[in-house]
Amino acid sequence: MPASRRSLHPEAIARIARLELRARAVVEGVLTGLHKSPYKGQSVEFLQHREYVRGDDLRRVDWKVWGRQDRLYVKEFEEETNLRLSLLVDGSSSMDYRGGRAGDPARRLSKYDYAATLAASLAWLALSHGDAAGCVLFDELVRTSVPARTRRSQLTGICDVLEAPRQGHKTAFLPVIRSLSETLPPRGMVVILSDLLGDRDGMFRGLQVLRRRGHDIVLLHVMDDDELDFPFDGPTRFEGLELPDHVTCNPRGLREGYLEALGEFLGDARRRAAAAATDYSLIRTSEAVDVALVRFLSRRASMAL
Amino acid sequence: MPSFDFTTLLWWGLPLAAAPVIIHLINLLRHRRVEWAAMEFLLASQRKYRTRVLLKQLLLLALRVAAVAGIVLALAQPRWTAALGAWLGGGRTVHLVLLDDSYSMGEVVGAGDVGGDAARTCFDRGRRVVERIVAELAGRRGRQEVALGRFSRLVDRSAPLSETGMPSGNGPPSTGAEPAVAAGVTEQASATADMTADGRLDLPRQPVSPAVVQRIRERIARFTPSATAAGPTTALGFAASMLGGGAAGGEPRVLWLVSDFRATNWRGNEEAVATLAALAAAGVELRLVDCAGDDAAEPGAGGAGVSPANLSVERLEVVGGVPATGVLVPLEITVANRSDRPVRDVAIDVREDGVPRPGLRLPEVPAGGTAAQRLEVRFAKPGPHTVDVRLPPDRLPGDDLRTTVVDVVDRVDVLVVDGRLAAAPGAAPTAPGAPGARASGRAGDAFYLAAALAPGAGAPTGLRPRIEPPAALASLDLSSFDCVWLLDVERLDNAERDALEAYVRGGGGAVFFTGPRTRAEWVNDVLYRGGEGLFPLPLAGAVDLLADPAAPDAPDVVVEEHPVVAVLAGQRNPFVGAVRVERYMAAQRGHQPDTGLRRLLSLRNGAPLVVERPCGAGVVVAVLTTAAPEWNSWARGNPSWVVVMLELESHVARARRAAGGVEVGAPVAVELEPGVDGVEVDFLVPPDGAIVHQTAAPATDGRLVARLERTDVPGAYGIRWKRVDGSERERIVAVNVDPDEGRLERVGRERIDTALAGIPFRYEPAAAFQGGAESLAGVSLVAPLLQALAVLMLLEQLLAWSASYHPTARRRTA
Repeated sequence: MPASRRSLHPEAIARIARLELRARAVVEGVLTGLHKSPYKGQSVEFLQHREYVRGDDLRRVDWKVWGRQDRLYVKEFEEETNLRLSLLVDGSSSMDYRGGRAGDPARRLSKYDYAATLAASLAWLALSHGDAAGCVLFDELVRTSVPARTRRSQLTGICDVLEAPRQGHKTAFLPVIRSLSETLPPRGMVVILSDLLGDRDGMFRGLQVLRRRGHDIVLLHVMDDDELDFPFDGPTRFEGLELPDHVTCNPRGLREGYLEALGEFLGDARRRAAAAATDYSLIRTSEAVDVALVRFLSRRASMAL
Repeated sequence: MPSFDFTTLLWWGLPLAAAPVIIHLINLLRHRRVEWAAMEFLLASQRKYRTRVLLKQLLLLALRVAAVAGIVLALAQPRWTAALGAWLGGGRTVHLVLLDDSYSMGEVVGAGDVGGDAARTCFDRGRRVVERIVAELAGRRGRQEVALGRFSRLVDRSAPLSETGMPSGNGPPSTGAEPAVAAGVTEQASATADMTADGRLDLPRQPVSPAVVQRIRERIARFTPSATAAGPTTALGFAASMLGGGAAGGEPRVLWLVSDFRATNWRGNEEAVATLAALAAAGVELRLVDCAGDDAAEPGAGGAGVSPANLSVERLEVVGGVPATGVLVPLEITVANRSDRPVRDVAIDVREDGVPRPGLRLPEVPAGGTAAQRLEVRFAKPGPHTVDVRLPPDRLPGDDLRTTVVDVVDRVDVLVVDGRLAAAPGAAPTAPGAPGARASGRAGDAFYLAAALAPGAGAPTGLRPRIEPPAALASLDLSSFDCVWLLDVERLDNAERDALEAYVRGGGGAVFFTGPRTRAEWVNDVLYRGGEGLFPLPLAGAVDLLADPAAPDAPDVVVEEHPVVAVLAGQRNPFVGAVRVERYMAAQRGHQPDTGLRRLLSLRNGAPLVVERPCGAGVVVAVLTTAAPEWNSWARGNPSWVVVMLELESHVARARRAAGGVEVGAPVAVELEPGVDGVEVDFLVPPDGAIVHQTAAPATDGRLVARLERTDVPGAYGIRWKRVDGSERERIVAVNVDPDEGRLERVGRERIDTALAGIPFRYEPAAAFQGGAESLAGVSLVAPLLQALAVLMLLEQLLAWSASYHPTARRRTA
């Protein structure tokens, strides 16, 4: 593993306190491995004329100038993105789960930290390509948000949103979508980072709503390894982060049933995401953030071809 | 039903079975706390698997509790006893424990094995076995009742027993002969007094309790092997009276026979087998415990100086001579070797009236054979004298000692009935030493015989011949004579003949000499009587011994194989060859010899010269020629005449001289003369002379008898009483062990199986009763319990694995 990649290991990223720096570390690591951006912007606002040189696109030749001056000039426009990236990050209590033992230096990021890092990284990437990026932190309501912009300071605003204190609420996606439907820029890309624990029906109905509004929806399903593998031993009392229930049990005895229910949940999520024309990806918090990012970008690139 | 060797361990250990439950509860309190996001899946799983998980947990908990309980049970050594009736029949079981205490149980065996400490003898093993049996019974469920008896205590009385094992009345009718023990009596005498009320059981039937266990333990600690040869027959008869045939009601009954199972006791013992069969048929459970292990003493096993072989003093008796003062009395000691290896250089310790005298040595006692050694003793004073011989310590000490009693008198009277005196009734009877006797009997048969029996003061024989006419047979008390010689008697009247016949049949000895006055027809008719009378063979008449021209130098007398003439046997003995026989009384031709007829001497023509035949308890010898050198030259200066006559006298008198010894266990009795003897008699019991006082009582036949019922130890038992005139009388009776009991050959499991074929019984070695015994009083459940425990643990592991309590490598999903 190259040094740049080793520094992007979740445990290493977790040590970076500031989200912005964390996102920068991730994106820089990613960019060293990329050769071109998948984002292709088009400008509509004129900036200046420039004398034609061989190789310029003839479609960009200003024929009116050639008619008046008999010289070939090409028109240059102020660069303008065609991507409006909206990052919807689940800030409910269930996202606070963090696998591994307390005090363990190799402990993983919590699902929320992981999702926030990933969101910030995506924002960084978008902004670095001149795309607009905005961010919404929600649980059962929209807690805080920043609209999509292309300015360089936008990243700081996004990070501020992601680092805003959270209250520990349940997830209720549908009301959030309804409240955002008017504010989200149309036909943009909406990336949702959530563990989907909570109002699952509302989540997918919200996706349908977004889809109807022409958004390109990406659902990044962030789950901790513990939640996926349920590796617990010994008498354990499980207390719900969102639900008020608790279960005292021998986890090994319930593992089989747990994994069955989890499998059904994941399958259901995939199916319903596909039904909503949503690009669904399951991401483990043990996975390196940059790896998850690259995998996501590669997937998007392949979809664009 | 199960019982446990270590009940205390069971009670202390069983609470440990609660440990899994406690650990489970503690674990519930010590659970880890996890804040969990995906509760919905967990709750779904719990809803789905709650019942299954709960059941598995409970089952697992139960298995773990059972496993701990199983381990505790196994450590407590559970057994399944055969007393199933304890469950079904009201819970009362009667146990009769019979302990063989015959002296063969004193066999020294290998180093200890039973009970954890050294068991030196078979009897030690037996005691441990009894202790273990009773201790185990105390731990059984249900009411266990036990009675304990020893073989030697069960042989002498047969009072019917009540259901409780006690005599139905107040014991056997008192004859006044019940031993009263004086102060300072021996342990055996103490044990006699220590016996229970019925006088037969050491412990009457009673419920087993810790106190009874302790009592039995203390009591049997004092038990020692008896010197008796008490076999199983009588003991089993007692068991049959107590347990058999509904005597004990319908409850389960168990007979424990703790013995060494010697071949001498069991081989061909149909009565014992029949009794066992009857007991088994009556529903009695038979448990045979063999205390004679295969680890019989190896050299040195019994301690320093103990021979691994078993030598036994089989015989000690006077074998000749005359038991008179100043006369050498020969005794013969016969030592038997009961082992399969010869024993060399055996030192024999000899005591004369309790005083050590120079010992003897046997060069070798062959394996399985015997060796004899002669011992000559001269007693200075008249009266009863004892001779004890003792062998070195060996594998079985009980048969190493033997005692004989020699009743010594100043002179032994011998009655010589001279036929010539009947022919000359005026001739005065007299003793040979008297001048008149010599004058009247000179050259007669009586003279030569008396000269042989009492040669004179220079050669004391201890005999005092009394020459009498035939009429003396009826007038004298023949019992006062050592033997009776009849010399050429022409006839006897019926009274004389009957008196003589009664004397012989009562154990006396008679020697007939024939001669010119002897009439063959009368002898045949009156004395022989077709074999029913005294005379050993029918006579044909007097004939001359014709010369043999073919062998003119051949001796007239041929020595046959007989102990009386053994001294004459051999080629180099010139004396018998010098005897010339001219005439003799021929036996009837074609006569078929009667049973027991033996020749001592024959003539060269094959005719018998001296023959003997037993008659009743006595013996009769017929010399078919004259005593005087009338028909022969024997008495004329031939030394063999004196020798043979003295040997013949000892031979025919041996039955009367035989010491009236008894075997250990049999009563010692003395018959008193009413009006002459007092009725108060003291018995002096060996080894320390403890006095047991008895009062003589009339027996059923009217005789006045004083009796010591119990003789527990071998040795010389003194009997003292006073006569009405104030004089004291004393007798000594030798009490010896039965040498056959010293045969240590075991009957063996196979022979027992064969003998008891068809009889349900259980045969167990004593080793099975050692600590943590296998099959002490039931089948050990340890092995099956451990197997069940292994299965239980396997199930526990499978269930724990199934319930996901085993750590496994983490699996990754999705």
